[in-house]
Amino acid sequence: MISLVRTEFAKALRRGRTLAIGLALVGLPSLIVFAIHARGNGRGGDNGEGLFRLAHQSGLLVPAAVLEAMSAFLLIVIAGSIAGDIIAGDAASGNLRYLLMRPVRRGRLLVAKAFVAGTLIWGCTILVTVTALVGGVLFFGAHPITVPGLAIGSLFGGFHLTVTTLLERLAIATAYVAFGYSALLALGTFFSTVTDVPAGAIGATIGVYVVSEILDGITQLGVIRYGFPTHYLAAWEPMFTQNRFPHDMLAGVAVQLAYVAVFLSAALVWFNRKDIRS
Amino acid sequence: MADAIVAVEGLSKHFGPVLAVDDFSFTVERSQVWGLLGPNGAGKTTTLRILMGLERPSRGNVRLFDAPVTPSCPQLVRVGAMVEQAAFVPHLSGLTNLRLWWEANGARFADADLDGALAVAALGDAIHRKVRTYSQGMKQRLGFARLLLGRPELLVLDEPTNGLDPGEIREIRELIGRLTLQGATVLLSSHHLTEVEQVCSDVLVMNHGRLVASGTVSELIGAGSSVYVEVDDRERAYTVLSALPTVAGVLLQGDGLLVDLRDGRRSDLANALVGAGLRLETISANQNLEDAFLGLLDGDRVVS
Repeated sequence: MISLVRTEFAKALRRGRTLAIGLALVGLPSLIVFAIHARGNGRGGDNGEGLFRLAHQSGLLVPAAVLEAMSAFLLIVIAGSIAGDIIAGDAASGNLRYLLMRPVRRGRLLVAKAFVAGTLIWGCTILVTVTALVGGVLFFGAHPITVPGLAIGSLFGGFHLTVTTLLERLAIATAYVAFGYSALLALGTFFSTVTDVPAGAIGATIGVYVVSEILDGITQLGVIRYGFPTHYLAAWEPMFTQNRFPHDMLAGVAVQLAYVAVFLSAALVWFNRKDIRS
Repeated sequence: MADAIVAVEGLSKHFGPVLAVDDFSFTVERSQVWGLLGPNGAGKTTTLRILMGLERPSRGNVRLFDAPVTPSCPQLVRVGAMVEQAAFVPHLSGLTNLRLWWEANGARFADADLDGALAVAALGDAIHRKVRTYSQGMKQRLGFARLLLGRPELLVLDEPTNGLDPGEIREIRELIGRLTLQGATVLLSSHHLTEVEQVCSDVLVMNHGRLVASGTVSELIGAGSSVYVEVDDRERAYTVLSALPTVAGVLLQGDGLLVDLRDGRRSDLANALVGAGLRLETISANQNLEDAFLGLLDGDRVVS
């Protein structure tokens, strides 16, 4: 299994697409950090809302703002393109049949590829955080922050977050966002076993997330929304805006694990029974 | 049967309502070189894919090295296979492709027959170039290198010369010939009849998923209905042969006669000519494998 993971990593890391994703995940956060600095620099500019408004206080909060901006769409697209390609990509190029004739056991191959894809998705999320952190500290410094209390009568008063606390919560937020794509990884893996066309698997994976986000906005759907894979994606934000660890984060982890259990199992069953005709 | 490396019995494969392979049986014994012939859609590739554990049979038994074939079964490590065109990771070099493929199941690259494989591929320094820069012929040669890395006991080759130019086809054909001379057991699917005629000792002919004929190349060629005969008195032979009920027609051709048999054997002709006091100098099948193949498909009849 280790050798299989190693070969899959070697293939993935030397792809031009991986390099392009890496560059995008360095470039875009850098741009956002620069925009935060340029637009809200005490010259009557727009400080933005939520985490973006707070980001001016400390470079340590900038990564949270950047994660908030990138996790809802761009990281979904990137994670979906990685996950949807894992089996279908090899099938489309004809490599899959040669790997299976080596022979490599199908279950092992699927698990190794899913592990590599998952690691890449975590790597992408961490890259966003680290880039934004470096940029944020360069522009705003590494200071503790004081979050002002909300309006009179609100349940929440102001609070103070130390540098250590900010760094800890930043690590938790990054891990939560990365883990929040586990359902997407499982869905992409499943779709990737169903079709030999990578674009189809990627499109289906991202499509499910887009539909999930749209439906999640319809409150009339009630508790059904709690089962959508995107429902708890932003559950980490109150760590910075309200100084609390929401229970929603645990619910989010549970939902992700449920998707992983169902769709990775389905992918394993399907792939083991599938006729390889590519 | 005891030495059968490949044993296929009653193999059938459905794709929905389509019956791709229909009750197909054959065996390949050690050091035999079998050709699998058939038109497009005959079921050749499906048969080979099932043999390599890529597809599951709907019915029947398929065994490799006396063990049942299942997806990724361990005995596949003793097989070198090229199913349809050779495929590689395009953004990696030829050598890296070989290494990653070899190591994918945990084997050490040091144990591979890399020198032998590279000698076959004959890619020179191009082995260090990305595969996306290779011509189709280079990819096929790299494909041969890959399948030879493990010193396979059985080669399964599905249309190995597809998409190649005549020079590359000759190179690949000579390579297969060299491997067979070294004692390799080969199952070669092709619709290049010259290739099969030159390389294979035995042939299976498929049509519509069924076995139409099997036997040695010379048996299949001899099973045709057209016979060329040379005797000392051509005109008298014409009269003798035309009178035989098993002969459909006789034509004078060159120094001999072309006899179209209705239902008889070549030995019937020989007996009649010798019985008439003629000296028989030549009697041979007047066809090559292509004629035999097309004749079999026309008739789609089982001869063995």
